[in-house]
Amino acid sequence: MLSFLYARQSGLDDPVRLRRAESTRRVLSLKLNHNRDVDRIHGNGINTLDIEVIDGRYMLSGGSDGVIVIYDLENNSKKPQYTCKAICTVGRSSRHVHKFSVETVQWYPHDTGMFVSSSFDKTMKVWDTETLKPAEEFQFDGNVYCHHMSPVARRHSLVAGVFSDQTKPSACELVNVSLTGHRGEILSVRWSPRYDHILATASTDSRVRIWDVRRASGSLFTLDQHNGDKSKVSSEAVNTAHNGRVNGLCFTADGLHLLSTGTDDRMRLWNSGTGENTLVNYGKVVNESRKGLKFTVSRGCSPEFVFVPCGSSVAVYGLHSGELITMLRGHYNNVDCCEFHPDYQELYSGGKDCNILAWVPVLRQPGIEDDETNSKRGGTQAAINPAFEDAWSSDED
Amino acid sequence: MNRKRALIADTFCLTKRRRCAADSVTGDSQDGAADIRSSLKYLVTLFSRKLFNDSLPPVVLKHQLYSLHNDKTAVDKQVVRSDCFRPTYKYSSWQSVPDHFIITVTHSEALVFSLPRQNELRENGELLMFQLGFDSEAFALVFAEDYRAKVLQGEAGRGTLGTVEKFLAKLIPSCSDLSFNKEKMLKEFLFTDSEITQLVKSGVLTVRDAGSWWLSIPNSGKFIKYFIKGRKAVLGMVKKSKYGEILKTELEGRRTTSQVKFQMKYHIHDIIGAELVECIQTTSGTLLRHVDGNVN
Repeated sequence: MLSFLYARQSGLDDPVRLRRAESTRRVLSLKLNHNRDVDRIHGNGINTLDIEVIDGRYMLSGGSDGVIVIYDLENNSKKPQYTCKAICTVGRSSRHVHKFSVETVQWYPHDTGMFVSSSFDKTMKVWDTETLKPAEEFQFDGNVYCHHMSPVARRHSLVAGVFSDQTKPSACELVNVSLTGHRGEILSVRWSPRYDHILATASTDSRVRIWDVRRASGSLFTLDQHNGDKSKVSSEAVNTAHNGRVNGLCFTADGLHLLSTGTDDRMRLWNSGTGENTLVNYGKVVNESRKGLKFTVSRGCSPEFVFVPCGSSVAVYGLHSGELITMLRGHYNNVDCCEFHPDYQELYSGGKDCNILAWVPVLRQPGIEDDETNSKRGGTQAAINPAFEDAWSSDED
Repeated sequence: MNRKRALIADTFCLTKRRRCAADSVTGDSQDGAADIRSSLKYLVTLFSRKLFNDSLPPVVLKHQLYSLHNDKTAVDKQVVRSDCFRPTYKYSSWQSVPDHFIITVTHSEALVFSLPRQNELRENGELLMFQLGFDSEAFALVFAEDYRAKVLQGEAGRGTLGTVEKFLAKLIPSCSDLSFNKEKMLKEFLFTDSEITQLVKSGVLTVRDAGSWWLSIPNSGKFIKYFIKGRKAVLGMVKKSKYGEILKTELEGRRTTSQVKFQMKYHIHDIIGAELVECIQTTSGTLLRHVDGNVN
């Protein structure tokens, strides 16, 4: 660490290098912290989490009971022990609450005055954060599985929603644009963080399609797991992204790659420009979810990491290497969603056990002063924990 | 996860390691291929030839290699067709780059290309890959010389020998497809319909669907039957152990039932590589734990 600081100071290294190295070190040391807690408001499982992009201060969560809660993640008390308080709730007693499970919530990408939620009661509501009343409500014919607003769009504010009983994602604002092409229910939809007109959808017919909304006639291309090598599979499985339902999608932060997870217990990394399968082998990524899976990729680290909910733990994989770094265990039941906080390198995960857990990087142990080694983490000479000190033994033996 | 030592990012490791790797760029990929080849040779020794009266070439499954090597992507690169692996990453700011990539820097971005694979086992025609049929992800690997020898041995004295020889001559040096459709057989390989029927009769091709065929190993039906039975029996042994887990060394020493025809180690590499059991490192060695998701 000191050598990085010196190199930055003397101009030998790019300033961003220290930041990336330190972010990576922090992500690798994610652990459950007994000092950090999130208020437990939901009475039923938590389906979705979203942290706003402007400040990274407020987090939205949507639950299976239709309740939506907003938490304040910032620690303004001077104590290390901190519980992220729920600032406001759209609870069961509110007149406008969703009748059934909320599947996706997302902050409006440009400020926190607005957020959008979609639910199994076939509606998508645009809420005003101040009054917690819906400013707009869209009705659909089927359960809305997922929706997403483009994080980079300046020219449009389309919300793409996908719902059951229809095999078309619709991008709705005032104009309802229907994109046809899938043959099965669509479980997940994501806008590209690089271009504001590119959209990806994942469906139960094992295909992932990339669309350009400016040309709503058909998809741009379908992702093929064998990269056009038709000889490798049986003829029904040609041109599919997975050998089962595809239920999760996530773009990397730069938008150049797309990750998809499927019920064939595989996760694949695609080049989002050409649709090529990069063939990184993550091994078996256990996936039993019948609806969409929400997973996330780290931002600002040097080898990026993917955080995928696997059963009741969260698996951390290296993005391009495919190796399993660690499993974060702590939930009592299935984990449904996880969200990465890029500024503090923290991970929040929510699941069926109604808990939101905060995974916080472990702080460095204070080193002994006369022992300046040049390995950064090596030689963690921790100060003796006061719990293990006793009053009768002496150092002089 | 309980860790005595924390995870350390590559960037924090001493620079010596990086320097060594950067020096021998080609050496690295050669070592990789040599490793895979030696693992394949080792797995071939585990295959029991006598069981099939020497009529079958030694068959190894691709996922058995995953149990011997940590990096699955590297194994795939050696074994799968190299033109699938052409990741071209664009780095817009500093990021660590795997060692065997070339970087060309343009005005705002660095484009990274992978080196052409020199020791690609399948490209060289050393290894053949087959789709076995019982699992869409289970691929069998056979060394090309072994395959050729056994097939010709099986065909000796039959009328179809000439056609089979012609097919093998076309197949082995360059082709790395798993299946062929009619067009390819007729136009590229210049076979007639009756010759294709002969190939199917001899077992070198198996029907995939109307007008296309899988490449297959003759007489492999027995192999697949024994393999599936043996796999089920070994998984049952792990499941029935106390707490559903057993040390790998202990499992290797167990007496095999009559269901298990192959060597125990062969099956163990298979179940570890296919992730049908969870592999946990303990102070007494590797522990194999039964995973709930698998029924068989």
